[in-house]
Amino acid sequence: MIKPVLQLPNRVLATACEPVGALDDRALTVARDLLDTMRSAEHSVGVAAPQIGVSLRVFCVDVTGHRKARTCHGEVVLFDPVVVEASGPEIGREGCMSVPDLTGDVARFTSLHVRGLGLDGEVHDYEVDAFEARAFQHELDHLDGLLFLDRVVADDRVFRRRVYR
Amino acid sequence: MPHVAVTALGVDRPGIVAAVTGVLMRHGGNLEDTAMTNLGGHFAMMLVVEVPDSEGAEALEAALVDEVGGLGLTVAVRPIVEAPPDGPRGKPWAVSLYGADQPGIVHRVAQKLADHQANIVDLSTRVVGPGPEHAYVLLLELSLPASADSDRLAQELATLADELGVEIHLRPDDADVL
Repeated sequence: MIKPVLQLPNRVLATACEPVGALDDRALTVARDLLDTMRSAEHSVGVAAPQIGVSLRVFCVDVTGHRKARTCHGEVVLFDPVVVEASGPEIGREGCMSVPDLTGDVARFTSLHVRGLGLDGEVHDYEVDAFEARAFQHELDHLDGLLFLDRVVADDRVFRRRVYR
Repeated sequence: MPHVAVTALGVDRPGIVAAVTGVLMRHGGNLEDTAMTNLGGHFAMMLVVEVPDSEGAEALEAALVDEVGGLGLTVAVRPIVEAPPDGPRGKPWAVSLYGADQPGIVHRVAQKLADHQANIVDLSTRVVGPGPEHAYVLLLELSLPASADSDRLAQELATLADELGVEIHLRPDDADVL
């Protein structure tokens, strides 16, 4: 089901999420809602559970067709994701569906190894880089109650969003 | 409710922001977009403040002068007309410049941008290093209309960089909404 994307100042966005543990009906329903919401939002490359009001450690990402993407694993759903390895910070400008009007410069790792449970209940490992790595880290932050505003490299590196894409 | 523009400038010291915003709060003001920074040892505040209909700019300025004048601040409050919701649409670009300081750098870069109908939306400069041989850094954000030729602008900025003996870089500055 497509869910409304919560925006600031909703406190769910600033709350660290609970682990999923075993995949039950609730967790799988949340995952389906995340995918429906991501597909419905034009140009969305990822949604994390707190953005649809659920404080659970699960997100989805899909960077298919993005011009800055190198690795691309298509639609990815990960429950209880953890970063196994990360390297190579790089600054890039980010916006967020939950933070209208603003963008900010954020340093992210360019190469990332992430492990979590997939929709099939199996452990999956993803080696991602470039834009897919940025998207993963952005969604991982949501699960910890962090927004890009918490990550901007300096307080004068937050900007009015001028182009909606 | 109407808006006023508040500016305050004075030698930097602790308590300036608390004092100025305290007066604004007690007069029913609500801070909206603001920029406050230390410029060469002086603290500069620029604030757009929503104020009650009953609160005139002149009275608010008088209150600020009365209550925070002891901090040595030069304060001004002016009514502002409601800004249009959005400026001309364009593509975001960024310019960075650094090199030996000399008079006219900002003007010549800004004039070049204006010639291309580029709209500067943010600009800051810093003097870097001590003494007469100090360096100068300029960072700006601009919005370039779709009709503008960014390649030509980049070439002309490169020519200007050679004339000034500084480095100038123009790069797209688009954000990814995740």
